[in-house]
Amino acid sequence: MKLGLEQFAHLDSPIHRWAPTLKLIGLGTLIFAFSCVQTLMVLPGMIAITAGLFWLSHLPLGFWWQRLKLPGLFLIGVIIALPFLSGETPLFEWGFLRLYQEGIYTVALISVRFVCILTLGLILFGTAPFLKIISALRGLGLPPLLADMILLSYRYIYEIGDYFQSMKKAVKLRGFRSDRPNLKTLRTLSSLAGSLIIRSYEQSEQVYKAMLMRGYGQQHTAAKRDRFRIQDWTLFGMTTSSAIALLIANLLL
Amino acid sequence: MHIADGILPAQMAIAGYAGTGLVTWYSLRKINQMANPQAQIPKASLLTAAFFVASWIHIPVPPTSVHLILNGLLGTVLGYFAFPAILIGLLFQTVMFQHGGLSTLGINAVMMGLPAIAAHHIFQLRHQFKSLPPWGLGLFGFLSGSLGMGLAVLIFFGLLVTHLAGGLDAQAETAAIVGLCLAHLPVIVLEGIFTALLVTFFSRVKPELLPSP
Repeated sequence: MKLGLEQFAHLDSPIHRWAPTLKLIGLGTLIFAFSCVQTLMVLPGMIAITAGLFWLSHLPLGFWWQRLKLPGLFLIGVIIALPFLSGETPLFEWGFLRLYQEGIYTVALISVRFVCILTLGLILFGTAPFLKIISALRGLGLPPLLADMILLSYRYIYEIGDYFQSMKKAVKLRGFRSDRPNLKTLRTLSSLAGSLIIRSYEQSEQVYKAMLMRGYGQQHTAAKRDRFRIQDWTLFGMTTSSAIALLIANLLL
Repeated sequence: MHIADGILPAQMAIAGYAGTGLVTWYSLRKINQMANPQAQIPKASLLTAAFFVASWIHIPVPPTSVHLILNGLLGTVLGYFAFPAILIGLLFQTVMFQHGGLSTLGINAVMMGLPAIAAHHIFQLRHQFKSLPPWGLGLFGFLSGSLGMGLAVLIFFGLLVTHLAGGLDAQAETAAIVGLCLAHLPVIVLEGIFTALLVTFFSRVKPELLPSP
């Protein structure tokens, strides 16, 4: 089972070479600046910054589209409903249906913010191995317990996912049909989930023993300090100054 | 049932992160008060991964099917580890499937994690009874599972309706929240039944999975 998280993490681009710690702070600042935008005039600037960073990252457009499709479906409901629900200035009226100007503005704001933030997220997590990002987060003060939990969960999620797929196949081969809405279906599905959880629990006991044997918990290693190059600081300066410029434009326009 | 990026105003996203920071700090404090917190980390991590995978199970609800959140179940099994587990699960969902969002990770964690802690306390109430009938454990499982999901649904629609539909008056807002929550009642009940079935399954097969007082 592969979820394609690190599919393009091996590419070579200025964003791939950017130190993860500064990348996290720079793109994180930009994400929050994007979510602060309330003015339509600022949206073209947001799109230009996002497109520029995506171009710099060398990530394929197909990867972006593939990742956008599914969450985009959830947004469609909001896009359809909001212009008819939110606002005070009606633009058109068809019987009981009223299309509001403010609703259309809100939809434009939400859609652009959504697509731009999602793209920045893809750039952030698609251009570095996940372990490096967690290590950078650890350096930024993520509690060790949380860092350990993230790394261990990430390590075993694929294995447990594969086990789940084979269990699903096994119950199907025994004639189970999951589309029948009755208590028997629910009981079988709960046993499937229960077996998965119990198996993971038993495996965690072995994992803990193996970790103890390797000295887990004996000494806390301090998070490694990154050495930043001039290129790292340049990209950091570009993203944070863009974020500040967007916030100022949002206030003035 | 995630709040996506760009939907809520930035103040809400920042408040969500502040809330998540606070609840995470409190959960870690409670975890560190345990006898051997370090020994619990692999268990909590693998169970986080297992719950993440188990939430892919689709339950038929004609004419469609739904996937369960399992936050109530996480609370019943993991106790205070449930909040970090939910935070990690949501991070994975954002990064791997783009469900939810990076800017709304905090608010989503509070929305699902606080009900999980409430579910943990509801489930622990069973220890107040000296002798429980055979169906008692299932009943507490049902209550914690449905409460976990019910509270999350209430917070989700409360946030969406109050921050998205700006033209609605207070009465219409309340009616919309109540209406949307009622529409989710079958899923809330389903989540309760599923949790009850799992809790009774654990008590038969692996009772040590259910936290002692």
